[in-house]
Amino acid sequence: MSAAQEALPAVRSSREATVKRFAFTDAVFHALTRAAAILVLVLLGGVAVSLFAGSWQALSTFGFSFLTSESWNPVTEKFGALAPIYGTIVTSAIAIVIAVPIGIGIAIFLTELCPRPLRRPIGMAVELLAGIPSIIYGIWGLFVFAPFLQTTVQPFVIGIFHGVPGLNSLFAGPPYGIGLLTSSLILAIMVLPFITSITKDVFDTVPAVLKESAYGIGCTTWEVTRHVVIPYTRIGIMGGVMLGLGRALGETMAVTFVIGNAHRISVSLFAPATTISATIANEFTEAVGDLYTSSLVALGLILFVITFLILAIARYMLMRIDARTGA
Amino acid sequence: MLSTELSMPAAIAEKTKIDVKNLNFYYGQSKALKDITLSLRERSVTAFIGPSGCGKSTLLRVFNRIYELYPKQSAEGQVLLDGKNILDRTQDLNLLRTKIGMVFQKPTPFPMSIYENIAFGVRLYEKIGKAEMDVRVEQALKRAALWSEVKDKLNASGLSLSGGQQQRLCIARTVAVKPEVILLDEPASALDPLSTAKIEELIDELQADYTIVIVTHNMQQAARVSKQTAFMYLGELVEFDSTEKIFTSPREKRTQDYITGRFG
Repeated sequence: MSAAQEALPAVRSSREATVKRFAFTDAVFHALTRAAAILVLVLLGGVAVSLFAGSWQALSTFGFSFLTSESWNPVTEKFGALAPIYGTIVTSAIAIVIAVPIGIGIAIFLTELCPRPLRRPIGMAVELLAGIPSIIYGIWGLFVFAPFLQTTVQPFVIGIFHGVPGLNSLFAGPPYGIGLLTSSLILAIMVLPFITSITKDVFDTVPAVLKESAYGIGCTTWEVTRHVVIPYTRIGIMGGVMLGLGRALGETMAVTFVIGNAHRISVSLFAPATTISATIANEFTEAVGDLYTSSLVALGLILFVITFLILAIARYMLMRIDARTGA
Repeated sequence: MLSTELSMPAAIAEKTKIDVKNLNFYYGQSKALKDITLSLRERSVTAFIGPSGCGKSTLLRVFNRIYELYPKQSAEGQVLLDGKNILDRTQDLNLLRTKIGMVFQKPTPFPMSIYENIAFGVRLYEKIGKAEMDVRVEQALKRAALWSEVKDKLNASGLSLSGGQQQRLCIARTVAVKPEVILLDEPASALDPLSTAKIEELIDELQADYTIVIVTHNMQQAARVSKQTAFMYLGELVEFDSTEKIFTSPREKRTQDYITGRFG
C-alpha cells in the first residue's frame, strides 16, 4: 500500500461531505424559492377569497342584476354596478387609445430619429412622468386642467360638433370641465411613461443587423419601423400596453378628483361619471350598513375579474399571433 | 496593374462598375480606411480578404452607405457607381440601396412569412399585382436555390427555416429587388460546410447578372468564388489583382505572409 492509495479514502470522504453540504444548500435554496412562488398564489387566493366573502351579501341580495343595474342608491339600499363598470372600461379604453400611438411615437423618435444629445433628456423626462404621485395628477387635473378644458376646449368642441349626428351627442354640453373625457386624458398622461419606456426598451433589443438589412433593401425609417421593428417587438409592446391598461383600470386618486363621481351612464364624454376604484375610495368611509359595504367590496371583486380577463385576453391574442406567424 | 491585363486579355473589355478613388473612412476620430483606390468589374466577383479589423467590412459598408445609420461614422473621397459619385450629398439613400443589395454575416430574415420576406422589398418600389408578385417570389427563391425546399410552406415564418436556408432567403430577398450590385459580408461564416457550398455555388451563378463583392475570412472561399481579390491590412489596400495572381504569385510580402498563414 502506497501513501497515495491510503490517502484516497480520506479524500473521498471529504468529497462526499462536500457533496452532502451542496445537496443540503441546494435543497434549502429550492425550498425557499418554491415557498416564494407559492406565497404569490396564496396571496392571490386570499385576496380572491376575501373579496368573494365580503361581496357575498350584495351578490346574493341583487343577484345578476348587480351587474346590469345602473341605480346606486344608498338611501333605498339599491345597488347596481353598471355605471362604475362602464366608467372604468371607457376611461381606460380612451386613455389607451390616446397613449399608445403617442407612446410608440415617442419610442420610435427616441430610438430611431432623435439626435443623440437629446435622447437622454427626453427619455428621462418621460420616466419622470411615471414618478409623479397620482394625487398630484388629481390636484393638477382638478385645479388646472379641468378649468382649462371647461373654458376653452370643451365649448369649442361642443360648438363644432353641434350639428353633426352622432358626434353631437358624444360631445354634448354643458362643459363641466370634469368628467369622463377629462379622466381619460389624465389617465393617458399617467400611462404614457409605462408604454413609452417599455416600447423604447424593446425597440432597443432589435438587432442592428436586422435593421441594417431592411435599410439595405431600400426601406425608409418608417418602413423599417412599421414592417420590421414593430412586428419583431410586438409581444413586448403588447406587454407595455397591458401594463398601462392595468394601471389605468385600477388608478384611483387622480380619477376620483376629476371624474365627477356621478352614478350614471351618459352618452356624452363630457358628462360626469364614476369608476369602480373612484366609487370605492369615495364611499367606503361613509358606507353605513352591511349591504352598502358589501356592494363596494363586490365592486372590488368586479375590478379584480375585469383585470384578470383583460390579461387573459391579451395572453390569448399573443398566442394567436405567434401561432399565425409560426414564430 | 499592367501585368494583370496582359495575363487576362478578356478583362480589358470588361466594364468597371464601381470605381473607388482616394477613399478615407473614419469611426469618430480613428481612421479605418486609408486612401483606398480600386475598381470593381461589372458581372464579376471581387473578394476582400484580410485579418480582422483590416477594414474590409468597412469598405463594403461604404458602397451602400449603410454606415450612415451611425452618426459618428463618415467617409471622404469618391465612390463612383457607373461614373456617379454615391457619396454625394444629393444621392438618395433608399434608391442607392435598391441598386446595391447587401447580405450580412448572420441570416436576418424579417419577422414575417417566407413569401412576405421577399414580396416586402419588391413592394416598396414597385406596384405589381398578386399574380405577378407570385412569379417574382418564385423566381427569386429559385434563383437562391431555395424554391424546392420552401414552396409548400411559403406562409411559414422566415424564422422557422434553418440557418443555411435563412441565408439563402436573405439572398433571394436581395435578388428580388433587382439590384445591380450585391454585397456579401461574410455570408457563409455562420453556416455549416454544406450550406456554405450551396451559397458558393449560388454566388458563382449570380455573377452572370450581378456585380458581386464578397468579404470573407476564409481564403479558400475567396480563391474558389472570386475573379479578383483585394488584400487589406490595417486599413490599407495592400494588393489588388486577379485572384489567381494573389494566391499564386503575390507582389507584396505581406500578402504572401497572409495567404500562407504566417500571420492574421
